[in-house]
Amino acid sequence: MKKLIGVLALVLFATTLGFGQAKVVAEEWQIPFLNCLTGPIAAIGEFLEWGAEYAAQEINASGGIAGVPVKVIPVDTALDPQKGSVEMARIVKDGLVAMGPVPEPVIMAAMPIAVEAGMMSMTATTSLEYAQKFFPWTVSFLPPTEERLATIVAAWGKEFPDMKKVVQFIEPYGPWPGMADGHVKGLQGIGISVLPPVEVPTDAVTFGPLVVKALEEKPDGIILVCNAEKAAKIIKELKSRGWKKMNHILVFSSADDPQLYATGGTDLNGVQVYNYINLDISNPRWNAFKAAFAKDHKGMAPFSLSPNYYDALYMIKEAIEKTGVTGDPSKLAEERKKIADYCANVKNFHGLLFNWDMKDGIPTNKPNFIFQIQDGKKKLVEEVR
Amino acid sequence: MPLPLYYYLSITAVNILMSWALYLPYRVAHLHFLTVANMAISGYTAGYLVMSLHVPFGWALVVGFALGGLIGWAVSIFIGDAPTFAVVIVGFTFIFITRAVIQNLPAVGGPMGMFGLPNIGGSAASHRWIILGILYALVILVGWLIHRFDNSRLGRAASAVFVDADLAASLGINRKRLGMLLQTASCTIAGGTGVLYGFIYKSFHLDFFTFALVGFFMIVIFVGGYATQWGAAVAAPILYGVPLFFPPEIQSWRIVIYGALLILVLVLKPEGFITPRFVRSIETFLSGDRKKRNITLKEVV
Repeated sequence: MKKLIGVLALVLFATTLGFGQAKVVAEEWQIPFLNCLTGPIAAIGEFLEWGAEYAAQEINASGGIAGVPVKVIPVDTALDPQKGSVEMARIVKDGLVAMGPVPEPVIMAAMPIAVEAGMMSMTATTSLEYAQKFFPWTVSFLPPTEERLATIVAAWGKEFPDMKKVVQFIEPYGPWPGMADGHVKGLQGIGISVLPPVEVPTDAVTFGPLVVKALEEKPDGIILVCNAEKAAKIIKELKSRGWKKMNHILVFSSADDPQLYATGGTDLNGVQVYNYINLDISNPRWNAFKAAFAKDHKGMAPFSLSPNYYDALYMIKEAIEKTGVTGDPSKLAEERKKIADYCANVKNFHGLLFNWDMKDGIPTNKPNFIFQIQDGKKKLVEEVR
Repeated sequence: MPLPLYYYLSITAVNILMSWALYLPYRVAHLHFLTVANMAISGYTAGYLVMSLHVPFGWALVVGFALGGLIGWAVSIFIGDAPTFAVVIVGFTFIFITRAVIQNLPAVGGPMGMFGLPNIGGSAASHRWIILGILYALVILVGWLIHRFDNSRLGRAASAVFVDADLAASLGINRKRLGMLLQTASCTIAGGTGVLYGFIYKSFHLDFFTFALVGFFMIVIFVGGYATQWGAAVAAPILYGVPLFFPPEIQSWRIVIYGALLILVLVLKPEGFITPRFVRSIETFLSGDRKKRNITLKEVV
């Protein structure tokens, strides 16, 4: 009799557990990804899309999200706010969560729609300064610009005690001038004086006059805050005008893409660059990612933002599984909020390259890296936290 | 109202108004891209007035129209009778200058842009209805004014200038005053439309006002038909709307399709799909006058 009561109690307990856990009703998790698949930055859009699709393949191969397969739905915004806003308006009608938009002009046109609808859309590649305008309905994958960059640039400055005066080449695009302000803070913090910046016009095609202007100030160090092609051309121009201390040139993260290396060639040898990923990190997931990326991209290595939407999809997966989201349309508003709340404060998130925590939508402990370029390859100089 | 429909309708209205803003000066062969710079200038100014100085939206909109008109008039003093190419260059230059100035103005957000424009009317729903109401009231008003212009002596004078400016001058048409009038009117429309454009998105970013926008308006005018206002009115909703329903595989080819369409139209039907003759045929058909004018339904179609 006692055994029978024990078994009944066990069955009752198990049943209660079963009732406590909501059943997933979605047949497939469809995650729209508002991305630029055509237009001027289609190449970057393809890298981002590839990362998200790769994550979806991995997740599905290991049982899906809460046992249900996931599908990334590519939504092309073509870098057009007009298109991006209509697409976002379509998605918020019944979407549970989305990824993107990419990049800033489309974020600004489309994110207010997601905010109004109370749906999370992860803008994983923009700076905190853009993302935080739409909190809590997005999260930032990057910590506060000024604070983070001040630390990195101070670490670079400390490498060279002979460096006393630094000049920055700044292209006034989106968050870049704000990033340059972060550099100034870091340099001044270690007693390096910052010379008046040289503005790089967005439509600049020749760089000789800009370089001459900068060299007239007799700097010991140079930081380049402009797009990859312009950064490479400025370095070539500097070299042709007799600049010798190549490691006293620092290229900012947004210019660290294939175009920098393709345009700069061996003239980049010795130049330092900072970024948020380190291609040389070795772990099974990242190694598999790199190999698959190279296979699909003619041997190329992933670029700095490649893992962001891979991680974004995994963060959504974790949020759905940990908060018991069911995909039930009748609970849409409640479940959207659950996902947003979870992602804003996720702890020890297992990213592709490292684990990190979020506090109120802001990552708190992501590392940064300084590299030196040699023959088109980056060698780690130091990790900065 | 469903959200996608709201965005479609409101952006379509913006595209119609801006295409008309280009259409008007093109009546005297001026491709006046200053209009796009005016969108940005008035839009950012209105945004600043509302966000920082707490000026009511209505007044900010009025300032947007006035500022657009004022800039258009000031520039037209110098290029009211300039050749087409010179007007194009001035327009492009103004777009560059405007971008550079806004990028360096922290008061309007500089390169970051301007966030969080408020809802007009207190709630998101009323905001949408108000914006839509203003936009379509403007479409009707501007459309009516252009219709009146096209059918007036001034409109015929503009047609004469378009065909042969010297001949028009010999007929006593003051080409410069006509050019100034049309440029000022077009910039006024663009100024107000720029304000509304930003308030649709509730934000401003410099990349809302790019050459891609210029390109789209050009396609609307030349594919729709540059010789009648109906060209833009018909082409804007179609060229903006149809690609939204393309499957993703075809969406990628949107720009190519636009380009090919423009080339085909310029080669095969240089006046665009909607021509004045076509419009007259429709008018005659609708008025039931077709027997008298000897135009059949078949001819209309």
